[in-house]
Amino acid sequence: MTLDELKENESAQIVQILDEQLEESMLNMGFIVGEDVKLDRIAPLKDPILITSGLNYISIRKEDAKKILIEKNNAN
Amino acid sequence: MFNALTGLTQKTGNFPGVTVDKKSGYTNINNQQIEVVDLPGTYSLNPEAEDERVAANTIKNINDDELIIVVADVTNLKRNLFLCTQIIDLGKPVVLVLNMMDLLQKSNQRINLDKISALLQIPVVPVNARIKKGINELKEIVSKYQFKKASFSSNKLTPSERYEKITTVISACLQGGEANRWINRTKKIDNILTHKIYGYLIFLSILFVIFQAIFSWSAYPMELIEEGFAMLGGLVESWMPKGVLSDLIVNGILAGLSGIVVFVPQIALLFAFITILEDTGYMSRVSFLMDRLLRPFGLNGKSIIPLISSIACAVPAIMSTRSINNLKERLITIMVAPLISCSARIPVYTLLIALVIPAEQQVGIFNLQGIVMMGLYLIGFLAALFAALIFKWILKSKGKTNFIMEMPIYRLPKWSNIGFSVYNKVKVFLFEAGKIIIAISIVLWGLSSYGPGDTFEKIEEKYASPAFENEDENEINTLIASEKLEASYAAYLGKTIEPLIKPIGFDWKIGISLVTSFAAREVFVGTMATLYSVGDEDNTTSIREKMLQAKNPETGDRLYNRATTFSLLIFYAFAMQCMATLAVVYRETKSYKWPIIQVVYMGALAYVSSWIVYTIFS
Repeated sequence: MTLDELKENESAQIVQILDEQLEESMLNMGFIVGEDVKLDRIAPLKDPILITSGLNYISIRKEDAKKILIEKNNAN
Repeated sequence: MFNALTGLTQKTGNFPGVTVDKKSGYTNINNQQIEVVDLPGTYSLNPEAEDERVAANTIKNINDDELIIVVADVTNLKRNLFLCTQIIDLGKPVVLVLNMMDLLQKSNQRINLDKISALLQIPVVPVNARIKKGINELKEIVSKYQFKKASFSSNKLTPSERYEKITTVISACLQGGEANRWINRTKKIDNILTHKIYGYLIFLSILFVIFQAIFSWSAYPMELIEEGFAMLGGLVESWMPKGVLSDLIVNGILAGLSGIVVFVPQIALLFAFITILEDTGYMSRVSFLMDRLLRPFGLNGKSIIPLISSIACAVPAIMSTRSINNLKERLITIMVAPLISCSARIPVYTLLIALVIPAEQQVGIFNLQGIVMMGLYLIGFLAALFAALIFKWILKSKGKTNFIMEMPIYRLPKWSNIGFSVYNKVKVFLFEAGKIIIAISIVLWGLSSYGPGDTFEKIEEKYASPAFENEDENEINTLIASEKLEASYAAYLGKTIEPLIKPIGFDWKIGISLVTSFAAREVFVGTMATLYSVGDEDNTTSIREKMLQAKNPETGDRLYNRATTFSLLIFYAFAMQCMATLAVVYRETKSYKWPIIQVVYMGALAYVSSWIVYTIFS
């Protein structure tokens, strides 16, 4: 599944980022393939979303979230 | 950090985009002057936006006799070390400064500084830039620094591998406590501030409080300043011998000056509010809330920061667009930002609103003048959106757009930073704008006190004739003064453009003000003050009272009736009357095309809208 499909407060592991430029932007912000990501909040107008990985807390548009493949943790 | 080192008062904020250009200053270490250059913040050496490009290019071109100080937020060491180790691997001389040590202590975390320094092979200094703790230690390390090439990784790492290596360094050096404390607290605050309903309500309430404050809280100090200047004028007149010099000082310089100083309380309040919003980290949340709303207009959530700072001044606002990495979105933001009413319009709005709306009029608990003021800001904002929409259609899209933006942790505003910002802006307003205003006031006084040939003598001769012998002396003086003004050089200038501006309800005096306020909008008030002071012997009434008494020579009605005043308000809301903004647009777009387009489209918008307003109300 992709990152935009998560509900608020759900976590998952980043599996792959389909866009090279996006992958680099995400890396600069501390979002790394293989690490956990949590969807914290969906904006009042459904887009963009706030996500966390570790201590990194950023906003991203759903359009870009669609390009981030994730795998839900069993713990959730 | 930069301010702590150099003692300068450069503005800082709690989000990227506040520092967008290199700034340099000097610091004294062991009696040696050392140049300190502050670079825009960047997350890595692979820049995505213009401000990051400035930083990355400077870092890559640094010499061995220079030293890079990487200031890292210790509450998020992992991401901050990413940039730091990239620079180490470039083989550049680096000192790592760990900032926000106070937060680390409060979350009960311990950091082993010797170990981190050994692992990274560079000097590490803990500081708290907010209270200037650790600055002397940093200076000492810099003075003793000897460059020795370090390397964090021998081979070229992929970013993920670099992060992995950083993680091992951090887990060896940083222990205990609750690393999540600040981010968790921040998210709790975000539950309210970005809430589906409260989020927007809180944002609107904040804007509303700002406008009410600017209008009602500042009324008292403004009155004091106005009275002070009237007293000063009277004093100068009674002390100095009557003549050209006293006339120049009272009616030229003092009149122009009081028109400016009186707005200091409002401008100070406005900048205080904007700085608080920036300092706390709230601005990024506003961007988050607004991104979806702004997108249809070809703008980005990040555009809201320049648009809101345009309420203060379009010049820093246009510079802050550098953090928008899509070129089209950035250009649209630059083009429409000056439509947002800036602080230079406050004097014009305040003066004009007071002419047609009584101060005591209330709507519920709100002051009607304040509501009209807010309405003008709203009109400016709507016009900016409308213009953005048109630019979105016209401009070609280049490159991808995204809205990847860090949400900084909330911090209490730093009061000294607010103080600095207010002090700096008021200083610039008073001295930079003041210089132009005084110069223009003096020229205007000259132009309106003298006329071509012997026209002035003829007027005096006319009233000295026996026909006027029995008239009241004061009345005659007023008649002479107004006839002289109408025959002056200034009147010639104003009357030349009068045919052009008559359809929108302006007379030649307003015409002169339009010409002079092309330099800067606030000059309008000074110009009006000078024009209406010439011929006022006692000079005891304020400019507002003088304008209220002004009559339309053709109809004998009040000149500043609703139609003319509203038309003038709209004109000042839309027209591009600011040399400084045009200069910065030229600098940011690197072409004459965009500032020229800006002058033309805003001018046309102003003229047409004023004509519509004037036609409706008259």
